[in-house]
Amino acid sequence: MAGATSDGTRTTSRRRLLEIGGATGAIALSGCLASDLFGGTSSGGDPTIHVLTWEEYANDDIKRRIEETVGVTLEITKSTSSAKMFNQWNQGEYKQYDIAIPNNNYVPKMLAATKDGNPMIAPVDRDVVSNLDGIYETFTGFAENQFTKDGSMYGVPIRFGWYGYSYDSRTVPDHEESYEILFSPTFEGVDLSNQIVMYDNHFKAMSAAALYLGFRDAFSGPKVTLSASQIEDVKTTMIEQKPTLQGYIAEDPRYIKQFKQGNFLVGQSGRNEIVELWDQGADWATMATPKEGALAWFESAVVSEASDSKTKAWEVINEYIGAKNGATLAKTGFSPSVNPETKSELSSEENDRFGAIDPSRLEGMVPFKTVENEGAWQTAWEAIKAA
Amino acid sequence: MTKERSRTKLWRLLYTPRRNRWLTAGPAAVWLGLLLLAPLTYMVVVSFLTVSEETYQLVWSPTLAGYSSLFSADPIWTAPFVDALLISVFVAVVTTLLCLVTAFPVAYLLARREGLWVRVIFFLVLLPFFTMYLVRAYSWMLVFGKSGVLNTTLEALGLVDGPVGLFTFGLPAIIVGLTHAYFPYMLLSLYASLDGIDMDLVAVARDLGATRVAVVRDVLVPLTLPGMVSGGLFVFVPTLGAFVTPDILGAGKIQMIGNFIEGRILGAADLAAGSAAAMFIVVAIVLVFVVVIQVVDPEELGAV
Repeated sequence: MAGATSDGTRTTSRRRLLEIGGATGAIALSGCLASDLFGGTSSGGDPTIHVLTWEEYANDDIKRRIEETVGVTLEITKSTSSAKMFNQWNQGEYKQYDIAIPNNNYVPKMLAATKDGNPMIAPVDRDVVSNLDGIYETFTGFAENQFTKDGSMYGVPIRFGWYGYSYDSRTVPDHEESYEILFSPTFEGVDLSNQIVMYDNHFKAMSAAALYLGFRDAFSGPKVTLSASQIEDVKTTMIEQKPTLQGYIAEDPRYIKQFKQGNFLVGQSGRNEIVELWDQGADWATMATPKEGALAWFESAVVSEASDSKTKAWEVINEYIGAKNGATLAKTGFSPSVNPETKSELSSEENDRFGAIDPSRLEGMVPFKTVENEGAWQTAWEAIKAA
Repeated sequence: MTKERSRTKLWRLLYTPRRNRWLTAGPAAVWLGLLLLAPLTYMVVVSFLTVSEETYQLVWSPTLAGYSSLFSADPIWTAPFVDALLISVFVAVVTTLLCLVTAFPVAYLLARREGLWVRVIFFLVLLPFFTMYLVRAYSWMLVFGKSGVLNTTLEALGLVDGPVGLFTFGLPAIIVGLTHAYFPYMLLSLYASLDGIDMDLVAVARDLGATRVAVVRDVLVPLTLPGMVSGGLFVFVPTLGAFVTPDILGAGKIQMIGNFIEGRILGAADLAAGSAAAMFIVVAIVLVFVVVIQVVDPEELGAV
């Protein structure tokens, strides 16, 4: 109870304070509950679209522009890997998110995953995603091959890039670009013992080893189909490679930091990491596209079948591949957009680095795909890590 | 007065020993039930299921497939899971011992001294706690590695010709990182235990001719055993399941059980096998607790 003291000031009793605190808590809680129960509509009346995606998609400019254009509130949850996104989605969080944007090889998995016999992702609403008609044909082709079922497409490509390897050109001389360098303790007269880094992901690292061993045919179908003996060969090669490795790194920032620190000379990496290094002034970092085939990826957006705002969700995705937002996304993540119109929004230097990358460069590459018998890949990967 | 009477009346109406028990233990029981027992039960159940390779959903039919997949090697002890389990136990034991050995002298000094500098040292010891665990692990990355501070300094001083393997990423770096991360847990447990000891006993033992080693062995260690055990548990349990530090400071080359589980769940989307693997951490911790209870009275642990 509030009361007056002898000097005339008013005090608040502990009980009163608790009552106020309790009432405030109750109001806040009921507000949260109401927000959850009544479809996540923000105070302005715009629906809230929950997006599970990479950090760059939370860029303030992109978020603001999309919120204004589409009339939604974007709630973006950042993730650091497609595998995490898929697992969250698969374990029931597809009900919490309207959109997820993993790498393309996870879209077929999301398409295959069902809950009580019902699909988790919805077919693309092509009437809404009008920018889809303007993207490079290469990617509509990939999407049709990889995640089209019964005539419906289930994912929208957004950005792309590829994995090869990078090296420190101050020490490693120019050479014919080949995965051989990742498996050679000495290369072109340079001692690479403990100077090589591989990607810390069974698909990316083992695929590089498989391509090095000449198993490219296994990558030609709709899935990667390494036989048991080929997986065994990959395992043996990678176990032999391990003593020469500095280690395995998955996160881009860690790769960039360690490469700059001089902890290794050669590493399996994405092109976007090297463009970021160039952006930081490290022009000695050189990106190589191995002759055996680089691994090409493209992020693809899916919409949850459980979403109450599917049309709005597709509108948001349509904005992500629009010229202006696509350009900002490319700039933020150093990876080109699938929409060629983004070029007009970028400077000539930006276009040289990541804007005007013609996807015809992907023709000699191996697109990311789902893997057949992934359990055998994982078991082999565990043996490599334990060796 | 009326208010007080009605309050007493209400209290009498509500109060029973059973209700009192619920009021005191209830919140903790609900907390443990919801956040510990329920997930643990779910994990146990899931460990006996499989995941469909077509729909990626759990198949609700009991099986030991998750467990057998952990040991699918011939001979069985060459299975990567066994390797991960043994490395985890080794790292956890070594880290616990290192924490104990390094924290004991500091805790002893802090318990014997008072004043500003004691508080300053306490603050300095606890300072890393104010930063994120991840940041602490990352900070060690600058120290270790081929071009880390240790190797660069040694090379600059002309003491070595090239990078020293001990200071590159690997098992030693993981142990150092984990020791640094969990040192304060051990220190605080030991300090609390040592602070309750009558230090006159040490003086008496010395007066009666005991050597310093004998004082530690025969007086301090027995009296601080509960603190050592509780500190040991605080270090051993999280270290056994560590996966961030091994990932960062082991450069992904060392596979502890936490990394193995992460691989099964994220890499292979196999929640069942991941849960089966996690059961071995649970069992290992339960076994450690069983052993601890044989050595120390649980009430003494609580008194630390």
